Amino acid sequence: MTATSGESKDSQALAALTELARNSMEPPSTAELDQGLDALLSRIGAGKARRRGFLRWSIVAATAACGLVALQIASRAPKPPFPSKPPALVYQIEGGSVLEGGYLRESGHAGIKLSFNEGTQFLLMPGSRGRLRAVDKEGARIAIEQGTASFRVTPSSDRRWLVEVGPFLVTVRGTVFTVFWDASSERFELRLRQGRVVVSGPVSGGDIALRGGQRLVVSLPKAETLITEEKPEESAGEPVGAPASRAAPTPTERPPSAARPSAVTDRATARNAAATPAASTLAKIDDDHRWSDKLASGHWDRILEEVERAGVRVTLEKAPSEDLFALADAARYGRRASLARAALLAERRRFPGSPRSLDAAFLLGRVEESTERGRHRAVEWYDEYLAHAPTGAYVAEALGRKMILTDELEGAASARPVAEEYLRRFPRGSYAGSARALRRVP
Amino acid sequence: MLTRRSQAPLSLVPGPGRRDVSDGGLARGLIAGEVWAIAETWHRFAPLVITTAERSLGSKPEAEDLAQEVFYRVFRKAKTLREPDSLRSFVFSFAVRVIKTELRKRRARAWLSFQQPETLVGLGCATLDMESRDLLRRFYALLDRLKARDRLAFTLRHVESMTVEETAAAMDISASTAKRSIVHAETRLSRWIEADPGLAGFLDAKGWDR
Repeated sequence: MTATSGESKDSQALAALTELARNSMEPPSTAELDQGLDALLSRIGAGKARRRGFLRWSIVAATAACGLVALQIASRAPKPPFPSKPPALVYQIEGGSVLEGGYLRESGHAGIKLSFNEGTQFLLMPGSRGRLRAVDKEGARIAIEQGTASFRVTPSSDRRWLVEVGPFLVTVRGTVFTVFWDASSERFELRLRQGRVVVSGPVSGGDIALRGGQRLVVSLPKAETLITEEKPEESAGEPVGAPASRAAPTPTERPPSAARPSAVTDRATARNAAATPAASTLAKIDDDHRWSDKLASGHWDRILEEVERAGVRVTLEKAPSEDLFALADAARYGRRASLARAALLAERRRFPGSPRSLDAAFLLGRVEESTERGRHRAVEWYDEYLAHAPTGAYVAEALGRKMILTDELEGAASARPVAEEYLRRFPRGSYAGSARALRRVP
Repeated sequence: MLTRRSQAPLSLVPGPGRRDVSDGGLARGLIAGEVWAIAETWHRFAPLVITTAERSLGSKPEAEDLAQEVFYRVFRKAKTLREPDSLRSFVFSFAVRVIKTELRKRRARAWLSFQQPETLVGLGCATLDMESRDLLRRFYALLDRLKARDRLAFTLRHVESMTVEETAAAMDISASTAKRSIVHAETRLSRWIEADPGLAGFLDAKGWDR
């Protein structure tokens, strides 16, 4: 959209927003396309089988109906009931809700549990992120974007369950298993307790079929694929939803002190470790506030008013993770750096193992940048984020900001290695122009 | 029995590359139910469909799901394609129809549910700075308030840079109706931007004039 001189300023703003929308979307990668094609071919295959089955059953049903009609005429007997169709899948959700796009939103700290009417259970562990992509008569498609999830799938030849775990696709018929995916370390793990599954994804040698008692670990950065047999006692007796692995701690399970550059916040963690409020209180706050919705609607000022009414200290101690994040955003938009900082520090202190805790490190950098003398601290926070979320959503931004700040604080010579790294990783990124300029400076 | 063998070396002669097949040839393969044609159609047109859907809906996961639905319909209805050379338009018309249906469903769900839809939960833009993401989130929240037809017409015209005539053809409406929808969307969006104090802050932060 191009704005001419006769158009209003708001039309120019609209043109700018439209251009941003046009330029911000990246085309799908080859891997994503391949994965999409696999899913499509599976669906086409299932559709053909269903149509053939439908045709066969239609002929059988028509023959049976004719026979029945003849029998009824002959004997005046009542017509037997028509064979019923398999029931549609319905589910009940506990500990959260399903938002637009199937996003599973946790309302407490106990994770989200989905129970389907045919007996299948799915548990998304606390702090994990997932989506309910589709539920129909043929089964369901669930995506795990981060963290751990457990499945107890009721065996059925009529239904198929597809679980997307990062770049992997797990095809399930009837089984009990736990999956884990950490986007920052690109590590995938699957522990299969019963049944069989097929795992497709970026592993050499094609699809991997696993049987009960096997464990698959894939590390994409190391290009490692490991399948091990587990003793029955290792997995037997664990409830659905047990952590994926005790042997290999994941980045999200690291001690909180390792994820923080300041000793002050370490002390605060120790002080507040026992101060976690009851889950029921948190759920109530979550239901009452829905701050992320308010923020999406542009009512950040109302969030700040609610915090003032409820008390900043109480909110920081009791609000759920999602609300703390929304509060931090609202405070940033309202130019209240100290409140934004407090909300983000509370997020890291109270939810040290959650993915949002890492995002908070980046946002703390942005908050510090906006203050008078916070640029050194901002660089520390960006380093913190880059160290613990090497493939996180804000990596390009963190590296770009670090480059700019290093140039301002220490000069071009110090910033040049950062610029080189930025260009290597994000040659088309929004800081690429600045990075190239820095590289040219003698 | 004695068997005489030729001493001439055998070599495998590759057929023409699938990637070089024209849209017409591809459509004919699709109509014949060839598996290679399904894969090639997907690889040739899925980026277009996914990108358009992502720009229209503001969510990459939803765009990927939508692409599945679009191509599933395309393959099922391939035999109804009268002009094989117009395969691209055929695929795009399915995409536009499915996007429009999805936008209508969204609005219906928004009316029936007390829960506000979460906008831009899965935007696939790793290199975008934070302010731009915030701006996009708010922009798509405004788009969510438009009627499905107005929103789609606006998106095709301004985000996809199609002409009014192309927009009308893709949406299967008259050019005058398409123009009316676009103007209606522009007017409402401009008014909402003006009335949104938060957006003003974002635009100022980006250094864009309002």
